[in-house]
Amino acid sequence: MNPEIALPILIPLLGAAVSVAFWRHMALQRHLAVLATGALLAIGLVLLWEVWHGGILVMDMGVWPAPFGIALVADLLAAIMVVLAGFTGFAVTLYSLVSLDREHENFGYYPLLQLLLAGVCGAFLTGDIFNLFVWFEVMLIASFALLVLGGRRTQMEGGLKYVTLNLIASAIFLTAVGLLYGMVGTLNMADLAVKLAQVEAQGLVTVLSLLFMIAFGIKAAAFPLFFWLPASYHTPPVAISAVFAGLLTKVGVYALYRVFTLIFTHDVGYTHTLLLWGAGLTMLTGVLGAAAQFEFRRILSFHIISQIGYMLMGLALFTPLALLGGIFYIVHHIVVKTNLFLVSGVARRLQGSYELRDLGGLYRSAPGLSVLFLIPALSLAGMPPLSGFFGKFILVRAGLEAGAYAIVFVALLVGLLTLYSMLKIWAEVFWKAAPEPTSPSPAPLQGPERLLLYAPISAMAAVTVAIGLGAAWVYDVAEAAAAQLLDPALYVEAVLGRERLQ
Amino acid sequence: MLLLILTVFVGAPLAAWVARFGRIQSAWAAGLVTIVAVLQLITLMPAVFEGETLIHQWDWMPRAGLNLSFRLDGLGLLFALLILGIGLLVILYARYYLAARDCMGRFYAYLLLFMGAMLGIVLSENIIQLLVFWELTSLTSFLLISYWQERADARQGARMALAVTGAGGLAMLGGFVLLGHIVGSYELSVILQSGDVIRAHPLYLPTLVLILLGAFTKSAQFPFHFWLPNAMSAPTPVSAYLHSATMVKAGVFLLARLFPALSGTPEWSALVGGAGLATLLVGAVFALFKHDLKGLLAYSTISHLGLITLLFGIGTPLAAVAGVFHIINHAIFKASLFMAAGIIDHETGSRDMRRINGLWKYMPHTAMLAMVAAAAMAGVPLLNGFLSKEMFFAEAVSASTHLRLGWLLPATVTVAGVFAVAYSFRFIHDVFFNGEPVDLPKSPHEPPRWMKVPVEMLVALCLLVGILPALTVEPLLTLASSGMLNQPVPDFDLALWHGFNIALAMSVVALVGGGLLYVARQPLFELHDRFEHRLQAKPLFDRTIGGVLGAAGAITRALDTGSLQRLVALFVAFAAVLGISGFVASDSPLTGPRDLLPVDGISLLAAGGLAAAALATVIMHRQRLVSLILIGVVGLVVSLVFVKFSAPDLALTQLSVEVVTIVLLLLALYFLPRRQQPDSHPGHRARDVVLSVVAGGGVAALAWAVLTRPYDTIADFFLANSVPGGGGTNVVNVILVDFRGYDTLGEITVLALAALGIFAMLEGLHLKGPTRDDEGRPWSPDMHPPVMASLTRLLLPLALLVSAFIFLRGHNQPGGGFIAGLVTAVALIMQYLANGVAWTQSRLPANMHPVLAMGLLVATLTGLASWLFGHPFLTSTYTYLYWPLVGKFEVASAMVFDLGVYLVVVGATLLILIHLGLMHSASHQAPADTGDYR
Repeated sequence: MNPEIALPILIPLLGAAVSVAFWRHMALQRHLAVLATGALLAIGLVLLWEVWHGGILVMDMGVWPAPFGIALVADLLAAIMVVLAGFTGFAVTLYSLVSLDREHENFGYYPLLQLLLAGVCGAFLTGDIFNLFVWFEVMLIASFALLVLGGRRTQMEGGLKYVTLNLIASAIFLTAVGLLYGMVGTLNMADLAVKLAQVEAQGLVTVLSLLFMIAFGIKAAAFPLFFWLPASYHTPPVAISAVFAGLLTKVGVYALYRVFTLIFTHDVGYTHTLLLWGAGLTMLTGVLGAAAQFEFRRILSFHIISQIGYMLMGLALFTPLALLGGIFYIVHHIVVKTNLFLVSGVARRLQGSYELRDLGGLYRSAPGLSVLFLIPALSLAGMPPLSGFFGKFILVRAGLEAGAYAIVFVALLVGLLTLYSMLKIWAEVFWKAAPEPTSPSPAPLQGPERLLLYAPISAMAAVTVAIGLGAAWVYDVAEAAAAQLLDPALYVEAVLGRERLQ
Repeated sequence: MLLLILTVFVGAPLAAWVARFGRIQSAWAAGLVTIVAVLQLITLMPAVFEGETLIHQWDWMPRAGLNLSFRLDGLGLLFALLILGIGLLVILYARYYLAARDCMGRFYAYLLLFMGAMLGIVLSENIIQLLVFWELTSLTSFLLISYWQERADARQGARMALAVTGAGGLAMLGGFVLLGHIVGSYELSVILQSGDVIRAHPLYLPTLVLILLGAFTKSAQFPFHFWLPNAMSAPTPVSAYLHSATMVKAGVFLLARLFPALSGTPEWSALVGGAGLATLLVGAVFALFKHDLKGLLAYSTISHLGLITLLFGIGTPLAAVAGVFHIINHAIFKASLFMAAGIIDHETGSRDMRRINGLWKYMPHTAMLAMVAAAAMAGVPLLNGFLSKEMFFAEAVSASTHLRLGWLLPATVTVAGVFAVAYSFRFIHDVFFNGEPVDLPKSPHEPPRWMKVPVEMLVALCLLVGILPALTVEPLLTLASSGMLNQPVPDFDLALWHGFNIALAMSVVALVGGGLLYVARQPLFELHDRFEHRLQAKPLFDRTIGGVLGAAGAITRALDTGSLQRLVALFVAFAAVLGISGFVASDSPLTGPRDLLPVDGISLLAAGGLAAAALATVIMHRQRLVSLILIGVVGLVVSLVFVKFSAPDLALTQLSVEVVTIVLLLLALYFLPRRQQPDSHPGHRARDVVLSVVAGGGVAALAWAVLTRPYDTIADFFLANSVPGGGGTNVVNVILVDFRGYDTLGEITVLALAALGIFAMLEGLHLKGPTRDDEGRPWSPDMHPPVMASLTRLLLPLALLVSAFIFLRGHNQPGGGFIAGLVTAVALIMQYLANGVAWTQSRLPANMHPVLAMGLLVATLTGLASWLFGHPFLTSTYTYLYWPLVGKFEVASAMVFDLGVYLVVVGATLLILIHLGLMHSASHQAPADTGDYR
């Protein structure tokens, strides 16, 4: 028995339940949140360690053997994602302690955040397609609640779009699961992989796979299904934006990686070509959208979309190197993107706005923040020797070796436009002389507030640099994870046992 | 070598740090770091002079073919010497150049970072590693150009430089990856040996073009030259160091480095030679017309870079030697010229050659130095520039012999030479003679003694190399050329006098013609002023960027107008198109082989009812109450369908969910605005009809296709194991709390979340309810009819009893925690509805958070309990107990889990409804009534 498989879900779940029980004990909730997310990070690392050394771990819930019960499965990709969720959750929780106002805290921010993390980890670790739907719902409702927390008008507007468009995804997802069950009578993903391969009407399987592609594509904010993201991500308090930016779309990407390497690999020529088109168009529309924005968080939001394209590119090319690159990119992206949002929050704290025209002069007044912005920003644009460069390098190499020149061209072009976008922020927020403040300027940062705002940002910047300089380690782990994905037999054997492998 | 580069990189933060002890300390630190680096280089030199190529390697990302590997050969050594040597002089110079208010530490830190990155480029053995350093030089250059970041032109110049060189870097990344793909390694030693493989490969041309894009953008080759003049807003030491002596040489360095691998094809000659020739001419011509001292030097730099590129493009070994020689010479005289220009700027406060005139009188020493350097630039004999230019002319002539229209090459080159002489004349004459200074901000005088030392040293070098080439530069040149060619160097003669030949004639023509051109410059200047605005590249660049931005905005707006309806339509349409296309592309028939079951009347009726109710909802959607009732009908029909298929649990659940939902929606209805939206556009309606028919039809077709095929399911396992494994005869309940209890845990989490979310949302919301109905009648003050009130009070205990009963029988009979929870909730809601919120609140605790929390905790902890016994999460057990009076009955641990479900359902439902109700009463009662129920 390996409790570390279930603990990433149970720790935040319990943390949230206790927090709800002590609804008005804010000090307790805050401590509990730090404790729970810290524990989540720790257990994630343990899990990664175990999987790295012992191979895929499986836990049958309630000892009902797969495919009858629900199995939790931790392969390397899942374990990596859990670590990232823990890291992001922990960093954002620390940041929240000083960046959130009372009102948000009082309405259950901490338990909602932990339930969101439980949903995210649940989605990473499940080996059952319906169970995946359940955790997607947990995520959706938790994120919606966080999005409208406080109930300001802009939040409601963004939240409405967010929840409506995502519910369409849920409906399609559920329909597809139902049809899948109707076709092969099972829900366990390993079992699905085995049984779908034997189905006669492979055309129908392809259609079902497309339904999943759409459902997860909406979650991942791929072209042309991303519009809910820029409509909503800039509306809530920045800590919430940051955790969304880091984790939510990546769950969609993860789900695509999971089903399109394990279950739907029978018609790669068709499905993965579609994915490749999606990847290219996602990159382009995202980065073009960003170019037209002049609000810190909206720019960053559009870049999330564009970066999703790189991750999809890795999946779509479907070679060991490409998947490796995609996984590398996911790792890099989660850290960098969360960090950029957190930095935007500090800028707002210092100057009271997210609008580029209202910001300025931070290069002089906050040189430390400038460095902490430059590191993730240049990494996002793929500048060496930061993490983003290696992600891009591997993907470009994979693309050229696969002969997919068009997508490589798009990837490089988008890199340039991303650089342009980051320079725009840099020039406006950091270089330009500070505009005359219209309202009394906020109090300067000091003491614990300064510490708790800067500590997570610095830690994430350090990780960005470390991924760059120590790229070999991440490379090795991502390579092993990609190898597992490309050999579904390993997964099937771990879940169903050797005898089910014909 | 790693140590050498690390020294410089570590020196950067050091220089920044010591700045806090004094500005000068920072300069000292930077200088010392550089000297240490030079000493390290010197220890490596003997081996290189003996003809060795030093390669040091460390693993970095070995599996990706990426190693930390350095290479020191003649070419690398030459560049390293240039970088460190000129770097040292620039450090000394900048110490006097920077004003008191400029931050010294930052400047030297950036400068050392740049120096480290540049050394990295020239000492890299791995080309990906080379690229890393390449991009680092772009970045540090960006930071250095914008050193005076308050100045708008500095910011723009920096961004443009980074955009252009960054784009080139990306192209180069593509090129290098292709190169690695062709050769199978990223190590230079392998690549340089594989020239034949590379040139024969079908991907040769794209590889070449991509790499050249990188080199040309960096070395400011036409048509990418425009960033360099705009980068002149950098402090002058930066211009001298980065934008004439070193960084812009990175591009030509790359050409030299990859010369054995890529050169020797017609493509190479055409691309490299063509770009070089165009750049040579364009740079020389534009330089003459610049009024800004640094602008002139910038265009002159462009022109000289073109010259070097052209030499490499010609591609013969001798041309390559000439190119390397000119790299050395240009670095020396151009750095000194920039420094002189910096001194002039510093001491006069202006760089405009129309204002700074006649400085000979004020600063004769500086003038002398600048004039010698400018003469070297013009190619005057006895100076270093003459030698390499002479070689260049000779190579141009010999290359022209085997070209069609070959005479054009020497002719063009001579024209460029004429312009080069002319702008050198202008530099000397305008600045130091030509009357008196005009309206200068400062009165000019000689600079501090030590500020001139770097210039003096460089000018001395110009003379030394120019007069005694064989003694000074020849060994290094031979070494560097052999490093570049990767083979022994052909014989060449660095003598001053080669006899009367064409090259000499060209030199003479250039000198004389240049002088004449300068004398007759006035009409040319007028011509230039008339066309200048058309020839500017910067507006073009700005327009391009503006165009991209405009297009980006237009595309984004076209895709997303902000209308949710449109987006929903887009999503559904996309799903339909993708689904249908997938089906059409496949060859599977729609109908499977399974026999169809006979159609029975009840099913038909239910299906028809469902469809009719759904359709009616759409048609009646303007009348909210009616459509709500119709939605209820849909739900009820669904529960009837469950009954038909013998699923009483589901039917019961559906029924109670339906009740709760309708009550909830009724409460919400009250807050909807009374104003009706205008009818949608007929076109939109048509769109919606088509979309819904297609999407619904698609799903129906899929369902048909799936249902008509044979079906094999795991469901039998559940039937077989429900009693022996789960201890319950109600399979549905056992599935919910045991087989798939984990799903249920997730679902109750969703429910709890929904409650918390709605709570959070409603608390911040203040809505105004209507006070009158549609016909204008005031809202009824009689809120709680007494008959209903007393009836519901009577019903409460009964309902609770029913719910307890349903809960307890759940494991074996239809029922369970979910339904029981809903029944309890409905019973309690009735109290609120009938008696009012205030009345009920005073009797029932309104705080539902603990109930929710308890539910979640009970469910989770039940699952965790099994861990204590070493079983996986949620493992259940059951046993039989015997109680007097009750008799023998079964107790399953799953029932505790079910209790958790029950609690969450009750808590969540009530939390939502109470708070909607509270808002309700708050909207038309005194606010004091609501109290604080957080």
